[in-house]
Amino acid sequence: MDTLVNVAHGFGVALAPINLLYCFLGVFIGTLVGVLPGIGPISAMSLLLPVTLSGTPESGIIMMAGIYYGSMYGGSTTSILVNIPGEAASVVTCIDGHQMAKQGRAGPALGIAAFGSFIAGTFALVALMLVAPRLASVAIVFGPAEYFSLMALGLVVLTFLTQGSMVKALLMACIGVVLGLIGLDSITAQPRLTFGRMELMDGIGLVPVVMGLFGVAEVLLNTEQVIRRDIINAKITRLLPNKEDWKASAGPVGRGTVLGFFLGILPGGGAVVASFASYALEKRLSGTPERFGHGAIEGVAGPESANNAAAGGAFIPLMTLGIPPNVVMALLLGAFVVHGLQPGPLMIAQNPGLFWGIVASMYIGNLMLLVLNLPMIGMWVQLLKLPYNILFPLIILFTIIGVYCSGNNVFDVYVMIAFGVIGYFMRKLGYEPAPLVLAFVLGPMLENNLRKSLILSQGDLGIFVTRPISAVCLALALVLLIGPLLPSLRRKRELVALDEGA
Amino acid sequence: MSADSNVKVRLNNSELWGGLIGLGLGIFVVQSGLKLKLGTIHEPGPGFVLFYAGILICAFAATIVVAALTEGGPTFGSRWKDARWAKPVIVIACLTAFAFALDPLGFLLAAIPLTLLLMRQIDPVRWSLAVPISILVPTGIWWLLKHALGIQLPSGSFGIG
Repeated sequence: MDTLVNVAHGFGVALAPINLLYCFLGVFIGTLVGVLPGIGPISAMSLLLPVTLSGTPESGIIMMAGIYYGSMYGGSTTSILVNIPGEAASVVTCIDGHQMAKQGRAGPALGIAAFGSFIAGTFALVALMLVAPRLASVAIVFGPAEYFSLMALGLVVLTFLTQGSMVKALLMACIGVVLGLIGLDSITAQPRLTFGRMELMDGIGLVPVVMGLFGVAEVLLNTEQVIRRDIINAKITRLLPNKEDWKASAGPVGRGTVLGFFLGILPGGGAVVASFASYALEKRLSGTPERFGHGAIEGVAGPESANNAAAGGAFIPLMTLGIPPNVVMALLLGAFVVHGLQPGPLMIAQNPGLFWGIVASMYIGNLMLLVLNLPMIGMWVQLLKLPYNILFPLIILFTIIGVYCSGNNVFDVYVMIAFGVIGYFMRKLGYEPAPLVLAFVLGPMLENNLRKSLILSQGDLGIFVTRPISAVCLALALVLLIGPLLPSLRRKRELVALDEGA
Repeated sequence: MSADSNVKVRLNNSELWGGLIGLGLGIFVVQSGLKLKLGTIHEPGPGFVLFYAGILICAFAATIVVAALTEGGPTFGSRWKDARWAKPVIVIACLTAFAFALDPLGFLLAAIPLTLLLMRQIDPVRWSLAVPISILVPTGIWWLLKHALGIQLPSGSFGIG
């Protein structure tokens, strides 16, 4: 009953005209960046972070959340029609989605992607409403040791799931922690790694780091190759899947939804992991696995449902524990912080309007996305024809402006350019930026909780293993760290390891 | 193969250099942690986490270096094989020039040439399209930010913008 009252309250907040406008802007921009390869939700959210300052916290966060789940919808359009993933979570949709489009079935592919996304998004929201308040009430008893171990687990999971060498991912995570510690020490106020520069006293900003590593570096990588686009030019008709399509897709949508939601909650997991896991599951369960890769609708329905469910699930650790499970949620945490809010176990009780308003807006946003992605599909197809030689310079210009506006500081532009160049070389040498960024955000919290735990326990390291939740998290982290040394586990890791970029 | 060329082959290993840069960074972080004071385990100081993070960086980087020396690794050439490597170099040069010009020239005088250069250098856009876009887009954004959102972009020593 309480939940229903809260949901009604949330809809009251979400249906306020200004919040509806921000929600529409969020899902529209999300679809736009999802459709356009080379710019993903991370870049768009960093770019628009300063804009959220002009409105209320509800409006800003509603827009930022809209960009995230909106990009999941938009990404599938590019995958199906162009065979280039609009964003990382849609990589797997290219395989069967584009084959369907080539066979003249672009309509049903786009249709099932949108409907599957809607069903999964709705399920994730209902689950979020039911799980988050209960988890928040449990999380109140968490102490610094639990927080430290949970964050350590999150970082290890992300390094485990990152594509390529795990040692490189761990190295990136450690560097991220160090970068996060630049600035004044939170306990002694002593400057650390500031090199005497006043601009570094408050630390390096998240926006220039993310925009550099993901925005500028992505453009640099794209400029070195000639991008050929195999756009399906035939007129897209009959977007509604037929009876057979629905029959084939019902199972994958259901399984993808549940799997995606749980993988979304997992620290270090997220939409990319979920879509790949769902594809692998459907192929394994299929009686005719040879159809996969040749236009099987299950290969579109499952992953697209999974990535949307994961996008919803990822809000749980952020809203209830204050721990972002992935880079996108780290940016959302940044949006909370700029408004003076600290997500965590007390947020739902102290700011019910904000929490339930965001949840209700996500439902409304999902409905908006259904309209944006089905009847208005022609508009997005036209957008796909925009030449990259015009698009890339404009992306660079927008990132520069976005970074400058985030702190009204030219120094941030220098930082972004530097991280853009670093990010380009990192990618070329096989170092993924996602662990670095998540560690950069978690670094100060990790340090704070470690030092608090040691002070409280009077230097007894046993505090991390005598408290059950902390012990379980550390044990899991240890298993994931040691696991890749075993050949069978290493093969499994290589199968699920992913590129979290774009 | 002579010993000299053998050394050259070993040195042209991108994994090795990546690991060495990591190792150098790790040593710097360890030193910084020590300078900031580690404190005690009962009361960790500001350098405590930095020091141990530096140790971990050194350990992981050393693993990469050892693997590169024993198992080998891709050469720099192979990392950039079939890539138009000059394009990112040009973009980086443009961005660096822009960074130096932004403060003295201001946003408009620095952004218009940057956009034009990028439009002509990445994959040349014809002049008749590149020039108007390069002027209209930065000016439009500057106007929107200044008049609609009240955000002042750098105006430089000429006070333009």
